[in-house]
Amino acid sequence: MRQAGAYSGILSGGGISGRTGPHLLPLARIKKIMKKSSVDVKMISGEAPLVFSKACELFIEELTKRSWNMTIQGKRRTLHKEDVASAVATTDVFDFLIDLVHPNASGDVELDEEHVEQKQ
Amino acid sequence: MDDSTNKFTAGDDGTANQQERLLPIANVGRIMKQILPKNAKISKEAKETIQECASEFISFVTGEASEKCKKERRKTVNGDDVCWAIGTLGFDDYAPPLKRYLDRYREVEGDRSATPQRNEEDGGPSSSTAEFNPTPKPF
Repeated sequence: MRQAGAYSGILSGGGISGRTGPHLLPLARIKKIMKKSSVDVKMISGEAPLVFSKACELFIEELTKRSWNMTIQGKRRTLHKEDVASAVATTDVFDFLIDLVHPNASGDVELDEEHVEQKQ
Repeated sequence: MDDSTNKFTAGDDGTANQQERLLPIANVGRIMKQILPKNAKISKEAKETIQECASEFISFVTGEASEKCKKERRKTVNGDDVCWAIGTLGFDDYAPPLKRYLDRYREVEGDRSATPQRNEEDGGPSSSTAEFNPTPKPF
Protein backbone atom coordinates (compact mmCIF):
# COMPACT_ATOMS: atom_id res chain seq x y z
CA MET A 1 0.00 0.00 0.00
CA ARG A 2 2.93 2.29 0.54
CA GLN A 3 4.48 1.44 -2.74
CA ALA A 4 2.47 2.87 -5.53
CA GLY A 5 4.63 1.39 -8.22
CA ALA A 6 4.26 -2.33 -7.88
CA TYR A 7 0.62 -2.52 -6.96
CA SER A 8 -1.09 0.39 -8.57
CA GLY A 9 -2.28 -1.78 -11.39
CA ILE A 10 -3.91 -4.28 -9.11
CA LEU A 11 -5.52 -1.65 -6.94
CA SER A 12 -7.02 -0.05 -9.98
CA GLY A 13 -8.24 -3.36 -11.23
CA GLY A 14 -6.00 -3.18 -14.21
CA GLY A 15 -4.96 -6.80 -14.17
CA ILE A 16 -2.40 -8.94 -12.52
CA SER A 17 0.55 -7.68 -14.41
CA GLY A 18 0.69 -5.06 -17.05
CA ARG A 19 2.43 -7.28 -19.53
CA THR A 20 0.85 -10.65 -19.16
CA GLY A 21 -2.64 -9.43 -18.21
CA PRO A 22 -4.96 -9.09 -21.15
CA HIS A 23 -6.34 -5.68 -20.23
CA LEU A 24 -4.74 -2.72 -18.59
CA LEU A 25 -8.03 -0.89 -18.34
CA PRO A 26 -11.21 -1.84 -16.48
CA LEU A 27 -13.85 -3.11 -18.87
CA ALA A 28 -16.79 -2.09 -16.72
CA ARG A 29 -15.65 1.50 -16.70
CA ILE A 30 -15.13 1.46 -20.43
CA LYS A 31 -18.65 0.17 -20.86
CA LYS A 32 -20.00 2.98 -18.69
CA ILE A 33 -18.24 5.55 -20.76
CA MET A 34 -19.57 4.00 -23.94
CA LYS A 35 -23.11 4.08 -22.65
CA LYS A 36 -22.87 7.70 -21.70
CA SER A 37 -21.56 8.71 -25.08
CA SER A 38 -24.88 8.68 -26.84
CA VAL A 39 -28.54 7.90 -26.27
CA ASP A 40 -28.36 5.73 -29.35
CA VAL A 41 -26.19 3.23 -27.55
CA LYS A 42 -28.50 0.51 -26.43
CA MET A 43 -26.65 -2.74 -26.09
CA ILE A 44 -22.99 -3.41 -26.05
CA SER A 45 -21.49 -6.78 -26.78
CA GLY A 46 -18.90 -8.20 -24.45
CA GLU A 47 -16.16 -7.74 -27.00
CA ALA A 48 -16.63 -4.05 -27.56
CA PRO A 49 -15.10 -2.85 -24.26
CA LEU A 50 -12.33 -5.34 -24.82
CA VAL A 51 -11.45 -3.86 -28.17
CA PHE A 52 -11.52 -0.46 -26.54
CA SER A 53 -9.18 -1.53 -23.79
CA LYS A 54 -6.59 -2.25 -26.44
CA ALA A 55 -7.50 0.74 -28.57
CA CYS A 56 -7.24 3.11 -25.61
CA GLU A 57 -3.87 1.71 -24.81
CA LEU A 58 -2.71 2.45 -28.35
CA PHE A 59 -4.32 5.86 -28.23
CA ILE A 60 -2.78 6.83 -24.92
CA GLU A 61 0.58 5.61 -26.14
CA GLU A 62 0.41 7.63 -29.31
CA LEU A 63 -0.79 10.77 -27.61
CA THR A 64 1.87 10.40 -24.97
CA LYS A 65 4.63 9.84 -27.50
CA ARG A 66 3.65 12.88 -29.50
CA SER A 67 3.33 14.98 -26.38
CA TRP A 68 6.73 13.87 -25.24
CA ASN A 69 8.17 15.02 -28.56
CA MET A 70 6.95 18.48 -27.66
CA THR A 71 8.54 18.19 -24.25
CA ILE A 72 11.84 17.28 -25.85
CA GLN A 73 11.60 20.17 -28.24
CA GLY A 74 11.19 22.42 -25.27
CA LYS A 75 14.26 20.82 -23.74
CA ARG A 76 12.39 19.68 -20.70
CA ARG A 77 11.94 16.37 -18.97
CA THR A 78 8.54 16.87 -17.50
CA LEU A 79 5.57 16.33 -19.74
CA HIS A 80 3.13 19.17 -19.22
CA LYS A 81 -0.42 19.78 -20.28
CA GLU A 82 0.80 22.27 -22.87
CA ASP A 83 2.75 19.50 -24.55
CA VAL A 84 -0.43 17.49 -24.88
CA ALA A 85 -2.19 20.52 -26.32
CA SER A 86 0.59 20.98 -28.86
CA ALA A 87 0.48 17.34 -29.85
CA VAL A 88 -3.26 17.60 -30.38
CA ALA A 89 -2.90 20.77 -32.42
CA THR A 90 -0.34 19.21 -34.73
CA THR A 91 -2.03 15.87 -35.33
CA ASP A 92 -5.00 15.76 -37.66
CA VAL A 93 -6.47 12.63 -36.22
CA PHE A 94 -6.64 14.30 -32.81
CA ASP A 95 -8.81 17.14 -34.04
CA PHE A 96 -11.74 15.91 -31.98
CA LEU A 97 -9.71 16.75 -28.88
CA ILE A 98 -9.04 20.37 -29.69
CA ASP A 99 -11.79 21.78 -27.53
CA LEU A 100 -10.88 19.50 -24.70
CA VAL A 101 -7.28 20.63 -24.43
CA HIS A 102 -7.83 24.24 -25.40
CA PRO A 103 -10.87 25.44 -23.52
CA ASN A 104 -11.38 28.95 -24.83
CA ALA A 105 -12.85 30.09 -21.60
CA SER A 106 -9.48 30.52 -19.97
CA GLY A 107 -7.72 33.82 -20.12
CA ASP A 108 -4.29 32.91 -21.31
CA VAL A 109 -5.15 32.47 -24.92
CA GLU A 110 -3.13 35.05 -26.73
CA LEU A 111 -1.79 32.36 -28.94
CA ASP A 112 -5.24 31.05 -29.59
CA GLU A 113 -6.55 34.41 -30.64
CA GLU A 114 -3.82 34.76 -33.18
CA HIS A 115 -4.49 31.27 -34.34
CA VAL A 116 -8.15 32.01 -34.78
CA GLU A 117 -7.45 35.16 -36.70
CA GLN A 118 -5.16 33.33 -39.04
CA LYS A 119 -7.75 30.68 -39.64
CA GLN A 120 -10.25 33.29 -40.66
CA MET B 1 -9.63 20.57 -5.80
CA ASP B 2 -10.20 24.23 -6.53
CA ASP B 3 -7.32 24.67 -8.93
CA SER B 4 -8.76 22.40 -11.54
CA THR B 5 -12.12 23.95 -12.09
CA ASN B 6 -12.49 22.20 -15.40
CA LYS B 7 -13.34 19.07 -13.48
CA PHE B 8 -16.91 20.17 -13.13
CA THR B 9 -18.75 19.42 -16.27
CA ALA B 10 -22.00 21.16 -16.79
CA GLY B 11 -24.67 18.74 -17.70
CA ASP B 12 -23.93 16.01 -15.20
CA ASP B 13 -27.04 15.22 -13.30
CA GLY B 14 -25.36 14.86 -9.99
CA THR B 15 -25.54 11.11 -10.02
CA ALA B 16 -22.60 10.76 -12.38
CA ASN B 17 -19.34 11.17 -10.56
CA GLN B 18 -16.55 12.72 -12.44
CA GLN B 19 -14.71 9.48 -11.87
CA GLU B 20 -17.32 7.37 -13.57
CA ARG B 21 -16.73 8.93 -16.93
CA LEU B 22 -12.99 8.68 -16.79
CA LEU B 23 -10.60 5.79 -16.86
CA PRO B 24 -8.66 5.32 -13.62
CA ILE B 25 -5.74 7.69 -13.59
CA ALA B 26 -3.34 5.09 -12.23
CA ASN B 27 -3.97 2.89 -15.26
CA VAL B 28 -3.59 5.80 -17.62
CA GLY B 29 -0.35 6.79 -15.95
CA ARG B 30 0.94 3.28 -16.24
CA ILE B 31 0.35 3.12 -19.97
CA MET B 32 2.04 6.47 -20.37
CA LYS B 33 5.07 5.29 -18.44
CA GLN B 34 5.34 2.23 -20.64
CA ILE B 35 6.07 4.36 -23.64
CA LEU B 36 8.22 7.07 -22.08
CA PRO B 37 11.90 6.86 -21.21
CA LYS B 38 12.74 6.05 -17.63
CA ASN B 39 13.83 9.52 -16.69
CA ALA B 40 10.66 11.12 -18.00
CA LYS B 41 8.37 12.90 -15.60
CA ILE B 42 4.71 13.55 -16.07
CA SER B 43 2.86 16.42 -14.49
CA LYS B 44 -0.40 15.62 -12.76
CA GLU B 45 -2.24 17.95 -15.06
CA ALA B 46 -0.87 16.24 -18.12
CA LYS B 47 -1.99 12.88 -16.81
CA GLU B 48 -5.44 14.23 -16.14
CA THR B 49 -5.60 15.75 -19.57
CA ILE B 50 -4.74 12.48 -21.23
CA GLN B 51 -7.21 10.74 -18.98
CA GLU B 52 -9.90 13.05 -20.32
CA CYS B 53 -8.74 12.58 -23.88
CA ALA B 54 -9.05 8.82 -23.54
CA SER B 55 -12.67 9.12 -22.46
CA GLU B 56 -13.32 11.47 -25.31
CA PHE B 57 -11.78 8.93 -27.65
CA ILE B 58 -14.14 6.26 -26.40
CA SER B 59 -17.16 8.53 -26.79
CA PHE B 60 -16.08 9.67 -30.21
CA VAL B 61 -15.57 6.18 -31.56
CA THR B 62 -18.66 4.79 -29.86
CA GLY B 63 -20.78 7.51 -31.40
CA GLU B 64 -19.62 6.52 -34.84
CA ALA B 65 -20.04 2.82 -34.17
CA SER B 66 -23.52 3.19 -32.77
CA GLU B 67 -24.59 5.28 -35.71
CA LYS B 68 -23.54 2.47 -37.99
CA CYS B 69 -25.59 0.04 -35.94
CA LYS B 70 -28.54 2.34 -36.10
CA LYS B 71 -28.33 2.54 -39.87
CA GLU B 72 -28.09 -1.20 -40.13
CA ARG B 73 -30.91 -1.62 -37.63
CA ARG B 74 -28.83 -3.52 -35.16
CA LYS B 75 -29.15 -2.96 -31.46
CA THR B 76 -25.83 -4.27 -30.29
CA VAL B 77 -22.56 -2.51 -30.81
CA ASN B 78 -20.03 -5.26 -31.25
CA GLY B 79 -16.28 -5.52 -31.59
CA ASP B 80 -16.33 -5.26 -35.36
CA ASP B 81 -18.27 -2.02 -35.18
CA VAL B 82 -15.69 -0.57 -32.86
CA CYS B 83 -12.86 -1.69 -35.16
CA TRP B 84 -14.60 -0.24 -38.13
CA ALA B 85 -15.27 3.08 -36.44
CA ILE B 86 -11.68 3.36 -35.34
CA GLY B 87 -10.48 2.82 -38.88
CA THR B 88 -13.04 5.20 -40.34
CA LEU B 89 -12.13 8.01 -37.99
CA GLY B 90 -8.54 7.98 -39.13
CA PHE B 91 -6.80 5.68 -36.70
CA ASP B 92 -5.68 3.37 -39.48
CA ASP B 93 -2.67 2.12 -37.60
CA TYR B 94 -4.77 0.75 -34.81
CA ALA B 95 -7.13 -1.28 -36.94
CA PRO B 96 -4.94 -4.29 -37.84
CA PRO B 97 -3.68 -5.07 -34.33
CA LEU B 98 -7.17 -4.57 -32.96
CA LYS B 99 -8.65 -6.96 -35.46
CA ARG B 100 -6.09 -9.55 -34.54
CA TYR B 101 -6.79 -8.97 -30.86
CA LEU B 102 -10.47 -9.40 -31.47
CA ASP B 103 -10.05 -12.52 -33.56
CA ARG B 104 -7.88 -14.09 -30.92
CA TYR B 105 -10.45 -13.26 -28.28
CA ARG B 106 -13.19 -14.83 -30.35
CA GLU B 107 -11.24 -17.99 -30.83
CA VAL B 108 -10.73 -18.33 -27.14
CA GLU B 109 -14.15 -17.27 -25.97
CA GLY B 110 -16.31 -18.94 -28.55
CA ASP B 111 -19.54 -17.35 -29.48
CA ARG B 112 -20.24 -14.93 -26.66
CA SER B 113 -20.48 -11.89 -28.84
CA ALA B 114 -24.23 -12.06 -29.28
CA THR B 115 -25.14 -12.35 -25.64
CA PRO B 116 -26.98 -9.31 -24.40
CA GLN B 117 -25.32 -8.90 -21.07
CA ARG B 118 -26.70 -6.93 -18.19
CA ASN B 119 -26.33 -3.71 -20.08
CA GLU B 120 -29.45 -1.99 -18.92
CA GLU B 121 -29.17 -2.52 -15.24
CA ASP B 122 -26.69 0.26 -14.85
CA GLY B 123 -29.81 2.35 -14.80
CA GLY B 124 -28.33 5.17 -16.73
CA PRO B 125 -29.79 8.64 -16.65
CA SER B 126 -31.39 8.18 -20.06
CA SER B 127 -34.84 6.79 -19.82
CA SER B 128 -34.78 5.56 -23.38
CA THR B 129 -33.21 2.28 -22.36
CA ALA B 130 -36.50 1.14 -20.89
CA GLU B 131 -38.23 1.33 -24.24
CA PHE B 132 -35.80 -0.94 -25.93
CA ASN B 133 -35.84 -3.69 -23.43
CA PRO B 134 -37.64 -6.66 -24.86
CA THR B 135 -38.42 -7.99 -21.40
CA PRO B 136 -40.12 -5.30 -19.35
CA LYS B 137 -38.36 -4.92 -16.06
CA PRO B 138 -40.44 -3.96 -13.08
CA PHE B 139 -38.81 -0.80 -11.80
